[in-house]
Amino acid sequence: MSETVETPHPLEQLPGDLMMWVLIVSELLVFGAGLAAFLAVRIGDPAGFAAAQDHLHRAAAGLNTVVLVTSGLLAALAVRAREAEQRLRTRCLLAGASVLGLVFLIIKGMEYADKAAAGIGVETHPFFTFYYLLTGFHAAHVLAGVIILGLVGWKDSPRSVEVGAAFWHMVDLVWVLLFPVIYLLR
Amino acid sequence: MLRDPLLRAWALLIGLCLASTVLALAIERTSFAGLAATGAGAAILLLAWLKARIILSEYLGLAAAPFWRRGFGIVLALYALLLLGLYTIPVL
Repeated sequence: MSETVETPHPLEQLPGDLMMWVLIVSELLVFGAGLAAFLAVRIGDPAGFAAAQDHLHRAAAGLNTVVLVTSGLLAALAVRAREAEQRLRTRCLLAGASVLGLVFLIIKGMEYADKAAAGIGVETHPFFTFYYLLTGFHAAHVLAGVIILGLVGWKDSPRSVEVGAAFWHMVDLVWVLLFPVIYLLR
Repeated sequence: MLRDPLLRAWALLIGLCLASTVLALAIERTSFAGLAATGAGAAILLLAWLKARIILSEYLGLAAAPFWRRGFGIVLALYALLLLGLYTIPVL
């Protein structure tokens, strides 16, 4: 008699919490629409957008990408540590991820201060309207993520840690799409 | 050689981030123009797509869910093509 191997329903294959995936997709749609709108507006003034982009510090933004990606690694390692019942290691890794999130925000704050000192604001050019809107909204997510990582480090059930880390990876994912479009494409 | 898939993913992400930043700085500091600049822009978008795929597969665990990894990969590829189309319109 042959045994039939049942493949799980696709929804059952999805790792982690379904609602977190709903949130991840929603956020990707919001940021995705914002980035597409940015490039659509750029069509009318590519030279103006390139000139405005020259005021950004690409190397600092690249450094921030390294910071966020490394923070994501620590969050992923925290999930693994919690599954292995290593609670102290989990909390240390989550703390490390949070600290790197704060480093990201400090670098971002310095970038905004630099722009403000140069007299560059939201209404300086449409490029900067999108720049402040998209990077500011993302920075708000980073701040929320740092708070969430702190909370799941405190109430560290395996499910909480997994959901908190998934939120953090979503922030990471948005940045790796936002960074090249805003800072690098000329 | 990194055996841990998470560390391997992190190393790849760092490499791709550095590659896209170096590419952008090269465009800024050299006389890349017209099609060359557009080609470099397309390469930057390709690198962004690869980074997003790695985060979805390894950090978010879709490597263990091939159906969803494929689905997200296709949608992200279509989105990257949309961005590429919008990016290249001014040089057409």
